[in-house]
Amino acid sequence: MAALRSSSARLFGAAASRPALRVAAPAAVRGMAQLADGAEAHNMASDAKANLKTFQLYRWNPDKPTEKPRMQSYTLDLNKTGPMVLDALIRIKNEIDPTVTFRRSCREGICGSCAMNINGTNTLACLCRIPSEDKAEMKIYPLPHTYVVKDLVPDLTQFYKQYKSIKPYLQRDTPSPDGKEYRQSKADRKKLDGLYECILCACCSTSCPSYWWNSEEYLGPAILLQSYRWLADSRDERTAERKDALNNSMSLYRCHTILNCTRTCPKGLNPGLAIASIKKEMAF
Amino acid sequence: MASIARSSLLRQAASAPKFQQSVIANAARAAAFHTTARRDLLPPPPQVVKGTVNDAAPIPPTSPSHGSYHWTFDRLVAASLIPLAITPFAAGSLNPTLDALLCATILIHSHTGFQNIIIDYVPQYRTPRSRKAFIWGLNAATVVVGLALYEFETTDVGITETIKRVWTA
Repeated sequence: MAALRSSSARLFGAAASRPALRVAAPAAVRGMAQLADGAEAHNMASDAKANLKTFQLYRWNPDKPTEKPRMQSYTLDLNKTGPMVLDALIRIKNEIDPTVTFRRSCREGICGSCAMNINGTNTLACLCRIPSEDKAEMKIYPLPHTYVVKDLVPDLTQFYKQYKSIKPYLQRDTPSPDGKEYRQSKADRKKLDGLYECILCACCSTSCPSYWWNSEEYLGPAILLQSYRWLADSRDERTAERKDALNNSMSLYRCHTILNCTRTCPKGLNPGLAIASIKKEMAF
Repeated sequence: MASIARSSLLRQAASAPKFQQSVIANAARAAAFHTTARRDLLPPPPQVVKGTVNDAAPIPPTSPSHGSYHWTFDRLVAASLIPLAITPFAAGSLNPTLDALLCATILIHSHTGFQNIIIDYVPQYRTPRSRKAFIWGLNAATVVVGLALYEFETTDVGITETIKRVWTA
């Protein structure tokens, strides 16, 4: 029944009704949810002003490994849902199906947790608006060509291992002349703009066909962008070593300037340009 | 699994004589309503994590001849092809040396291009033996084409003249 109320009413109502339910009969909670699901569908059909939108979610449960992945449809009334895809996902999880699994944290595009493939484009669910004017179904998949942990949760182990391999921290031996922080000129600081904003959501890396084929050895756009962030830093003193680590056939040079990375980046960064800059710096 | 299930469904639906049934079932098992055949070329392998999840991915040994030199050489060859291809047609003269240079550059360009394709699609860490076979196959092909072009340039009219003749033929 919770779904029938407006969100503000739910906020007030939840405190009163939920603890009572849990104490009385924990098993009944799921029954209620299913009932609410049916009731909501019934209510939607009768509500003339309902702005319905169907979301197709990729579902796969690791507890049942023999079952194939499937797409499951959920219909929401957009008038009662927030504007972003993440709002819809949270509402689906809260009100329709609590088994839907996805990562999310900040809901404002700064943590990079909710990266997923929405309508064929890798993006952050929290920065992706639900197109309300067309009635087409939205298809939501996990990031492409990743091993899936569950539903929309990709396994980014290799991605983080590769990030660790580029030593993403300041390496420096000479102390600063006045014993205070390492200072930069404004021009040097400007070189880091467009690089330091990367939140490592893996949208670009998982959109890169070259990374799909060779993710074991090719670093991928996100990690190379970070690599360039440390190459471009005027305070870092390991530039030569960093370049040597990239100077082989796989780590850097599997980039073929496809530029899917730049196209998909939800933060509007340009990993393609950063990779081109590394290649140019290493060319002669 | 799904194709087997589908073919049994089909068998139930089609209440045909026995020999027809078996034909349908076999066809269904083979095609299973797919418009294109199933091709399991390089299926995704099971996930392997080298070391623990907290270890950094291994850094390959530095080798500029496979890295930066290779890339720079690639670009220089590709860029030099543009004037080489335009000059004979713009100038209208057929200099045999220029013609031979164009041939050689195209050959090197296509060799490194195919090399890149092989490195991309026949990965060393998954298919080391196929990789070796492909690389040596490419080397052999380049040598054969090189000999053929040498033969063509020295005893025949040369590549620019051939294109000219084919163009007006």
